[in-house]
Amino acid sequence: MKTSNKILEIKNLEIGYPVSKKSFYSLFSDINLTAKKGELVAVIGKNGVGKSTLLRSIAGLQDSIHGQVTINDILISDYSRSEFAGLVSFVSTEIVHVNNLRVFDLVALGRFPHTNWFGKLEEKDIVAVNRALEMVGMKGFASKNINEISDGERQRVMIARTLAQDTQLIILDEPTAFLDLPNKYEIVHLLNNLSKTEKKTIIFSTHDLNIAIQEADKIWLMLNNGIIEGAPEDLILNETFNRIFDHTNLNFDKVKGDFRMKRKHSEKIGLIGEGIYYTWTKKALERMNFTVDKGNVSIPHVLVNQSTWQYVNENSIISVNSIYELANLIIESK
Amino acid sequence: MVSNKYKLFTWSLLILLLIMLFLADVFLGSVNIPIKEILRIIFSGNSEYKEFSTIVLQFRLPKALTALLAGFALSVSGLQMQTIFKNPLAGPYVLGISSGASLGVAILVLGVSSAGIFGQIGPFSNWIIVLAAWIGSGLILLLILAVSTRVKDIMTILILGIMFGSATTAVVGILQYFSNETMLKAFIIWTMGSLGGVSMSQLYVLTPSVLLGLVIALISVKMLNALLLGENYAKSMGLNIRLSRFFIFISTSLLAGTITAFCGPIGFIGIAVPHLARLVFKTANHSILLPGSMIIGGIVLLLSDIISQLPGKESSLPINSITALVGIPIVIWIIIRKQRFSNIS
Repeated sequence: MKTSNKILEIKNLEIGYPVSKKSFYSLFSDINLTAKKGELVAVIGKNGVGKSTLLRSIAGLQDSIHGQVTINDILISDYSRSEFAGLVSFVSTEIVHVNNLRVFDLVALGRFPHTNWFGKLEEKDIVAVNRALEMVGMKGFASKNINEISDGERQRVMIARTLAQDTQLIILDEPTAFLDLPNKYEIVHLLNNLSKTEKKTIIFSTHDLNIAIQEADKIWLMLNNGIIEGAPEDLILNETFNRIFDHTNLNFDKVKGDFRMKRKHSEKIGLIGEGIYYTWTKKALERMNFTVDKGNVSIPHVLVNQSTWQYVNENSIISVNSIYELANLIIESK
Repeated sequence: MVSNKYKLFTWSLLILLLIMLFLADVFLGSVNIPIKEILRIIFSGNSEYKEFSTIVLQFRLPKALTALLAGFALSVSGLQMQTIFKNPLAGPYVLGISSGASLGVAILVLGVSSAGIFGQIGPFSNWIIVLAAWIGSGLILLLILAVSTRVKDIMTILILGIMFGSATTAVVGILQYFSNETMLKAFIIWTMGSLGGVSMSQLYVLTPSVLLGLVIALISVKMLNALLLGENYAKSMGLNIRLSRFFIFISTSLLAGTITAFCGPIGFIGIAVPHLARLVFKTANHSILLPGSMIIGGIVLLLSDIISQLPGKESSLPINSITALVGIPIVIWIIIRKQRFSNIS
């Protein structure tokens, strides 16, 4: 195995926060993880398990209790402040609200480690800022005020700032937290693109497991009793994801790649049909707490034929034209 | 985008206004002196009329210079505090920094001097007074910083600032009660300090102190910009938080402390002027806001001084009342706008 492209290595790390001057509250210990050049890593875990603390410890914003974090085989504590800022950039969960701050100026703040004492932007800095804005698709927004743009746009600008900072490693704490669904997908997809085209190592925490599964190269899964790392597909196939929400009614659906509520199915119902209409009719019936028995016509059943549905029981056969009507019909006939 | 032409025009207009107000402040007064004479006195240092040159050189010029420097100093220290505390309503007066300076001087004049350690008014007394003011304002600044790391709410910190201010006033009151008559008189005269009360010899202390504070402020522009996004981001971009706090606090204590030491507390310039600068320049970048606040601060204080001396009258209104009347509407506007923002989110 080649080790040359291993950027980040975490060994026996214990994280937590200080309670007093000498004692720490330990959140998580025995963390052993790696990340390579060009990898997109998603950190998944329940609220409060220590995702933010882990990310902040890697980003050098928080001291760890024990163990070591190395970047390019050098301990992060051995880097100087400005060297480290040229190596790792960070986007936190806090939303930045500053009046009169232009998008361009915010992204230009990323040039902090590269400019002189007065922060004067040279030609190369302006080029870098414009390029960063172009990479996240925000070039036309340069002179807008950051309070005037949407949450999704602001998140893109924050990512552009890390690109302007020009670091090998980018760390983002829940970048999709305040976004609507299309923006969630777009932001994570953008991170994926940047990791591939710019060869950045990007580590982000998220609760949007289904999006992470589609885009991340690697998942760091923080469970109550340890961290597991692997490709999302491997974690699906070996049923690791089910362990995130132990003791809850959530179940990971291996085929669909998403969580489902565990349902207490009571009554049986027959279902005959095929294709997408069959699949969604089945989902609807399961939502109504039926156990679907495929092809069984000896009990009350539903015949699906394209977009017409027939409900058949001992007394009658009734045809309807939508699943909503079908559902009402079944409830009424009970 | 704001065009370069517009920017150039704004800067020239502001600088021109500053120069004109400065001259107007020297020109206007209870004694009518022709502008030709004033220009001659300023540039050649003498005049045909001895009393004119005395009035201009001993009274009007020091007063206008003091107004100019106080406007620079208070506005810049207000801007620094608004950024470092991430609080649009921060300023040397509301956060109790000016009261801290008063307390420093009170302890010096009423406490230490009463104990007979210093002689009456020695040649170094100006420096000692200003030093006491720096220490007093610096200590209050540290106290507010300590609180603001625990309490994030803007309004809470502001109320605490007012409490600190009241507490220092109370301590000053107690000190007054226990001090002897001559010291008390010296202190009362100090508290009545105004722009016009600054003598030429005091100006020799005030000017270098304020200039030093402004130079430190100018070299901390990049740090202030990084702090706009909060300390986490600033740290992740490689800012040395402790060092930058040290720089900014030294600068603020020098600026606010010096002006309070010689002119007494002047309120609301520190809060209001940075907002005027943001309004004019439409930016959050300190490399523009800081010199912008300086110039606008000079303009506002020179204007306040001109208003305060009521043409044709011998006496002048207290400068603090004028700056309050100018500043308070701006502060109210900020609070109401802030309210609207918090309702949306």
